Amino acid sequence: MISVNGLTKRYGARTVVDDVSFTLEPGTVTGFLGPNGAGKTTTMRMMTGLIPATAGTATIDGRPYADLPNPGAVVGTLLDASAVHPGRTGRAHLGLHALAVGVDSRRVDEVLELVGLADAARRPVGGYSLGMRQRLGMAGALLTVPPVLVFDEPANGLDPEGIRWLRALLRSYAANGGTVLLSSHLLGEVEHTVDRLLVIGGGRIVADGPVGSLLGASGTAVRSVDPRGLADALRAREFHVERQADGVLVVDGAEPATIGAIAAEAGVALIDLHPVQRGLEDLFFQLTENSGAAAPTPAEH
Amino acid sequence: MTTTLDTAAPVRPAVRPTRASLPTLVGLEVRKTLTTRSGRMLALAGVLAGPVGMGLLEASDDAFPSVAGPFAVVGIMTGLLLLAMGVLSTAGEWTHRTAQTTYLLVPQRGRVLAAKTAATALLGAALTAVSMGASWLILAVLADPSVSWDGAAQAALTAVGAGAAFALIGVGVGAATANTPAALTGLYLTVLGLVQIIRAWDTRVADAVDPQQAVLRFARGDAEVASLLTLGGWVIAALVAGWVFSRRRPVQ
Repeated sequence: MISVNGLTKRYGARTVVDDVSFTLEPGTVTGFLGPNGAGKTTTMRMMTGLIPATAGTATIDGRPYADLPNPGAVVGTLLDASAVHPGRTGRAHLGLHALAVGVDSRRVDEVLELVGLADAARRPVGGYSLGMRQRLGMAGALLTVPPVLVFDEPANGLDPEGIRWLRALLRSYAANGGTVLLSSHLLGEVEHTVDRLLVIGGGRIVADGPVGSLLGASGTAVRSVDPRGLADALRAREFHVERQADGVLVVDGAEPATIGAIAAEAGVALIDLHPVQRGLEDLFFQLTENSGAAAPTPAEH
Repeated sequence: MTTTLDTAAPVRPAVRPTRASLPTLVGLEVRKTLTTRSGRMLALAGVLAGPVGMGLLEASDDAFPSVAGPFAVVGIMTGLLLLAMGVLSTAGEWTHRTAQTTYLLVPQRGRVLAAKTAATALLGAALTAVSMGASWLILAVLADPSVSWDGAAQAALTAVGAGAAFALIGVGVGAATANTPAALTGLYLTVLGLVQIIRAWDTRVADAVDPQQAVLRFARGDAEVASLLTLGGWVIAALVAGWVFSRRRPVQ
């Protein structure tokens, strides 16, 4: 279990992470979302001890990261795919990783096969594409099959097939009791992968909850032969109606059955009627537009 | 690239439950140095510097009364190359951002620096010993019989120690600056330039701070304590600076 309490980071007078708290339970994939400079990467680096926190604590299985006896056996991290010496081969890089975490070197070939890099294993990493480096980073994170995965923007550079593979990997990890924290700016990708969303804006958590409850069913879209008459009837019942350019009326917080009944009472014929669910993108912008994203720090990229 | 994922529960491999021992970390750091092309090239250059230098010395027909002087020069030449190896072992981690992986796997930064110190000292001593051995053989075969071999053993051991000491200076300064070009430029300018400027101004001050002069004097058996203090001072100052500056540096 990951527990973050009041994590704060200030650079002089500038606060880039402000009192961030959350708890991640086993068996879940949590998406960590926020615009550039919102504090995602800084938070993840404070959790893993790479950046000293100004205030607050982060523990994994009840201990700060630095106090874990063998951190690589507990947490698989992918924070920066380019943090690999370009002159080493992928295999040599993972061999060093295996020695550090204390796992048999034969495991290196297994994870290279798992991430699809077996054919490129003996080539210098400097010649790898971004997607291949991401896979190499994931291979390092998966060497020990740790119970916790912390991935920062892992889908960057992956092709669609790679993204599908990543999604299956993370879902299977959670299904087998793992705890996964995944940051991403690919909202569509997160929407299809995570159970829970943590949205950060301006260094503060602005939303935290299951994907379904945060997105929710947010209204109904309706098209009629008399949009003005229908809009008037709906407003008379104190519904908020938004008319779109194509003539569709979007009614916040209304069920299709209710709209149908009001239209019938008003004698307005309907052409189309269906519920609309707020997309993650809409939610994301709604939650973060007023939070004032902090100026990017060197850790935010 | 097509891959498939087995979504069955992954079988956890046997993993060491405790942190890596210091000898394991030392071995890891040695492997890190020797798995990069720059590290291998510097190791090769360090090994070859001595014998090539001795071969050129013989080819030049310059007379030298004793092998102690050339042996000390082997230590300096090899040491100046190993200085760069030391810098790469620490500053190189920041330049290539591999410090992130290093500290994620071993968060205790003091242990990492201790392992790098031990690994680089071992590599420095071993590479200089090989270079020194080859240089010894070359002079044994080619040197004029009139050349004195008195003090050859002390000079050779001094060279090996100098190789280790210069490598450690590189480790410390690299850790302190976290910037390979800055560390290398600063060190070479100081050792090869600034100290010589000081020498033109005041020989006594220069003797007290010049690590090359300390190697030459110790190899000859002159001012041994002062020479040890000079070299030791450089090593300790560099390593302390490295520890102080790197222990809480954010890994971006």
